[in-house]
Amino acid sequence: MIEFGKGNLRTPRLSRRVYLAGVGMTDFRKFYPAQQTSALCLDALKMAVEGMGISPREFRHMVNFAVYSQFADHFGDQLLAEAKIHDYLGLDPIGNFGIKSGGATGGSAANAAIMAVASGYASVVPVVGWERMDEVDTRQGNAYIASAACKDFESHLGWSYTTYYALMMRRYLDENHPNRETLAKIAKKNHHYARFSPFSQLPGDYSIEEILNAKVVSDPLTFPECCAMSVGASVLVFCDEKTAFNLTDRPVEVVGIGSGSHTLRTADRRNMPILLLPNETEEMYKDRKTDWPGFTGFLAARFAARQAYGMAKIKDPVKEFDLIETHDAFTVSDIQTYEDIGLRPYGRGAEFVESGDAYLGGRLPANLSGGLLGSMHAVGATGLFQLAEIYWQLTGQWEKIHGDENLWERFGKTKPADWKNLQVPNARCGMAISHAGTGSHVTAIILERR
Amino acid sequence: MNMKKIIKPRQQVKFLPGHKVVLVEKLFGQEVPHGIIVRENPSTVVHRHTYGGLSFFFQSLTEGKLYGKRCLSGSCMHTGIWLPPRVHCPDCWEEMVWTEIDSSAAKVYSHSMTNLPGAGFLLSTPCPLISLEIPSVGTRFMGYLSKFGDGEPYIGMPVRPVFRTRKPTYTILDISWVPRDE
Repeated sequence: MIEFGKGNLRTPRLSRRVYLAGVGMTDFRKFYPAQQTSALCLDALKMAVEGMGISPREFRHMVNFAVYSQFADHFGDQLLAEAKIHDYLGLDPIGNFGIKSGGATGGSAANAAIMAVASGYASVVPVVGWERMDEVDTRQGNAYIASAACKDFESHLGWSYTTYYALMMRRYLDENHPNRETLAKIAKKNHHYARFSPFSQLPGDYSIEEILNAKVVSDPLTFPECCAMSVGASVLVFCDEKTAFNLTDRPVEVVGIGSGSHTLRTADRRNMPILLLPNETEEMYKDRKTDWPGFTGFLAARFAARQAYGMAKIKDPVKEFDLIETHDAFTVSDIQTYEDIGLRPYGRGAEFVESGDAYLGGRLPANLSGGLLGSMHAVGATGLFQLAEIYWQLTGQWEKIHGDENLWERFGKTKPADWKNLQVPNARCGMAISHAGTGSHVTAIILERR
Repeated sequence: MNMKKIIKPRQQVKFLPGHKVVLVEKLFGQEVPHGIIVRENPSTVVHRHTYGGLSFFFQSLTEGKLYGKRCLSGSCMHTGIWLPPRVHCPDCWEEMVWTEIDSSAAKVYSHSMTNLPGAGFLLSTPCPLISLEIPSVGTRFMGYLSKFGDGEPYIGMPVRPVFRTRKPTYTILDISWVPRDE
């Protein structure tokens, strides 16, 4: 089993306050031939800078470091795309680096930028994320993604992450006996919320029956229960306190960050005692007979949340957060994550959905953005997209952005006649979970309005 | 002396034969917009991948044997056998020793069905993906069931390994599992 030393469980802290001052994104599509990646990144950054009320020149003069976020060079077929994009954005000769940690690349890149500002190395850091997943067909795309499984012992057994997650799902259903419909409700919810976002790729209103009877990708996961494969870009701009207050009277502070890891191979996860969160006790799990984390939990998510909660002094996430964005790549990974981050005890994740907590109007609305199931999974952009959506909620701008007729028109879409405002009233604090592999890397980032 | 200057003709750079240009008109069911060029960039790449210290494992599969690794350090033995094997113990960083796996009580820990595999999959579909629970092994080895009937696989299903000793692929596909009564 994995044993922890005192150093492993240290609560992280930032040496100075860090703020998210601006966000932007493109829309997300399966196929985006009209724009090259560099231009998509520029569009997303331009939106962020316009939102901060300054000119591109003013912004470029403020930047002193940049972070780039792309999952796989395979997809764009361009090594060192970071350099090409950095130049395209007019940011040379400012230093920069690219971050890669699978599906958690966006969260990791945001963490890197936050650390750069917190350390004092930089005061204004844009994080630019993208993925170009339309250069290859879907079968090849799946194989590229499965290249991020172990090539000796896993990749050949399907060349598809859906198959690996379906393995976890079967075990989850067997151990915890949720209603199968509850998992489908996650897909129904997120595809539905995606209908109200001009950025989304897979909006739709589906019945539970339609979701469960849809074509099976890998039994038991059906198509609407699996994430999109997207093209698009997202941008965040992190800065120090002085800059944040100069730019806006509604600054959003980074109050907690965490990151965790676990074996790339699901097979190698050794049984161990549950690492407890502040809202859990050993007593809660004394009768548990099943493995932990086994195939039903993510140690990396638990570890990341524990760090972020420690930093932000979060005791009860459902009560203290106003909204969350989880990495809903598959319905099963979402329900697993609810438990890892302490929204419900292990084995009872279904209650988070069935109680109504996860919906707008509930105690902790989840993935109002439409998430990865409904809106996008342009992998390098995903973790940034989640934080951007939380930013708009915390600054009360969700309606202004998502309801903007011009944006719908620009993306070639028709705003639905029954369009709904998904703004969480007076939202103050939210968290985004970014997740890789079958839980190889996970980040947790908590934002709070000041 | 009257030297005759030899003038060599300028060299010409030519396209090599055999290249083919394909412009894409439609992808993912969508037309490429007018005025946008989408060009096919074909690629065939061969990687030479070493199994290094794990070569014995893959060689043994071709000989009908399944091996894992065990750490002999007293403080690490509680983990059980590592399968997939790894050369070094992640806890003490010492080299581990090979040990043959007794799979006589192997059973299915979890399963899914590969219906739509990614490119490069070498097996027919549907193909059941399984994870295995094997006594004395501390991990949940992943594999596939190469023979299955209605209602199979299921969690707890007893299985036994079969090996591709003829025409091995030298990949993890050289071991598969079948119902134990098969």
